Amino acid sequence: MRAYAEGLVLALISIFAIWGAWQVPTASPGDTWAGIVPFSAAVALLFLSSLMLTGAARQTTGGASHAQDNSAALQIIGLFIIALIYQQSFRWFGYLLPTAIVAPLVLYFFGVRSRIGLAVSVILCPLIFHLIFFVLLGVYPPYGEVFDLLSWIQG
Amino acid sequence: MEIFPALLSVITDPTLLFAIVLAAVVGMIVGATPGLTASAAIAMLLPITFYMSPIFALAFLYVIGKSGRYGGSIAAILFNTPGTAASAATQIDGYPLARAGKAGKAMKVATISSIIGDLMGDILLVIGVGFIAAIALKLGPPETFAIYFAAFVVIGSVIGNSIVKGLASALMGILIAMVGLDPISSEERYTFGSFELSNGIGLVPLMIGVFVLGEVFAQLETRRKATGDTKENESTADGNTLTWEEYKPCLPHAFRGGFIGAGIGVLPGLGSAIAAFISYGEGKRRAKNPEMWGKGALEGVAAPEAANNAVSGPSMAPLLTLGIPGSTIGAILLGVFLIHGIQVGPTLFLTDKELVYKLFACGMLGILAYGLIGYFGATQVARLILKIPTNVLYPLIFLTSFVAAYSARGSMFDVTVMTVAGFAGWLMRKFDFNVAAFVISFVLAKGAEETFRQSLLMSEGGALVFVERPIALAFLLVGLAAMAFRIRGIVKERRIAQGGLGDA
Repeated sequence: MRAYAEGLVLALISIFAIWGAWQVPTASPGDTWAGIVPFSAAVALLFLSSLMLTGAARQTTGGASHAQDNSAALQIIGLFIIALIYQQSFRWFGYLLPTAIVAPLVLYFFGVRSRIGLAVSVILCPLIFHLIFFVLLGVYPPYGEVFDLLSWIQG
Repeated sequence: MEIFPALLSVITDPTLLFAIVLAAVVGMIVGATPGLTASAAIAMLLPITFYMSPIFALAFLYVIGKSGRYGGSIAAILFNTPGTAASAATQIDGYPLARAGKAGKAMKVATISSIIGDLMGDILLVIGVGFIAAIALKLGPPETFAIYFAAFVVIGSVIGNSIVKGLASALMGILIAMVGLDPISSEERYTFGSFELSNGIGLVPLMIGVFVLGEVFAQLETRRKATGDTKENESTADGNTLTWEEYKPCLPHAFRGGFIGAGIGVLPGLGSAIAAFISYGEGKRRAKNPEMWGKGALEGVAAPEAANNAVSGPSMAPLLTLGIPGSTIGAILLGVFLIHGIQVGPTLFLTDKELVYKLFACGMLGILAYGLIGYFGATQVARLILKIPTNVLYPLIFLTSFVAAYSARGSMFDVTVMTVAGFAGWLMRKFDFNVAAFVISFVLAKGAEETFRQSLLMSEGGALVFVERPIALAFLLVGLAAMAFRIRGIVKERRIAQGGLGDA
């Protein structure tokens, strides 16, 4: 079942890539088509996916269920969702506020249960990262469009 | 001869020396920490190198890579958990030695053998790299494309367990590299009207995502499955010292391992794990005491360790002379060159020769640095690693990956790319796709496309240009032969496994 799913996903990716390469306009006379490499790569990927699907058809099914695997996968998907929200919230609230919220959350995810530790991370994590990257290295911090804690602190 | 003035120049530069020592310590800790890799550390530190001079940045990351390879042996010997894939070969004899109270002795053998192998690799690199670059200057686009093709096929088919998945990973890397404007005709590809996608996918966020965030996701999964604590094996007073009589039988194995590692290192994609296992197998075949191998033979530590570290220097040869990274660390270092506007390839030896030899000099001094620290302080490093609370370490790495991805170009789109690449990297690991082939192919794709289309223009559209030119044809055949050998090897392994099951 897993081999079928892998082959099927690859086939879908390759069909999408073939369609995307097909959208590239044709080359002007004396030039090479800009879509030639992506098109060739996508066709090769489609061929490999067909190999995977035929290979899957020959395999016997395992049948064993992995409850532990599923619960770990769910946790990772949860962490990925946090990551997506975290990176998007930079645009809305700048760097400090999202980091202050996400730091204890991720620590909790990894098994830190000390209330003091989690509370300290709210202050220390944004402070240390801000000092290293935005003060010492001189990177310009992302500006929060809705509310920016750094601007508020700086008055 | 250029290496001697370069060595003198580095020795007299205190900031560079500081960078080398710091990198040796960082690499050793990272390599020895199970779950952390030198690739992840280098990818995470890559954006910081924007703010450093090119030689400082390159030396720092290059030495981390070298020291990280060595650091893997600390975890393999002392905790029975290989820090890197290559050190799994060291573990075979290293851990039984540690169990017998000879952890210190095994560590010293590993350190000396690593130094011998690594120095041999670097010396061969210094001697051979100029020669390869001179040949590379004479190659035309069809020959260069054929080398790229061979690299894609070797990287896709040789690394990992499945050829199909390896090649699919390489093709996905190529497709992702195609996003953005075509560099020749400026036509949009896979942009779907998005301005941000028209700039293409950045190398730095992709690498941070795949190697750093992907690793954090993978660690979250591993932590749930892991049982029990890691404990260090204590040495007895006698087991901590190493005499010349004890090391003497290891010397031929270290030298042979050095040559095996250097030979494998030049070939793109093969990597140190393959070198270490081949050296171990060859060492056992030629050993006077093969019955002791696997039960705690010091020679069984020397052979794989020398080969593992000898890969490091020669793997830089295809990167510097052809712009083809032979390893993930090479791919990341290519990013550093590009960040600093340095074009790698045969012309590098005409434009930035001094920088290249300075980098080699830093590598050699890095070997001495990690050698000294490792010989006298490997057990202290191991104790330090046991004190690192991983439940705090990985959340910190998680947070660092976001700010590091942002710092590279001050782009929020890069952070999004990093996040998605992180999840994709974890999925690829989980379903046994080849992350290294994916990233190396991503890096190679642009150069390969350029040479492919230049060749087509040269031949007015005819693909026969790749077959008519003997060097190009030879490299195409090398790629196909590598794949054929791999298929043969897999079929053989399956037959043996089926035979074994049949006997049972």
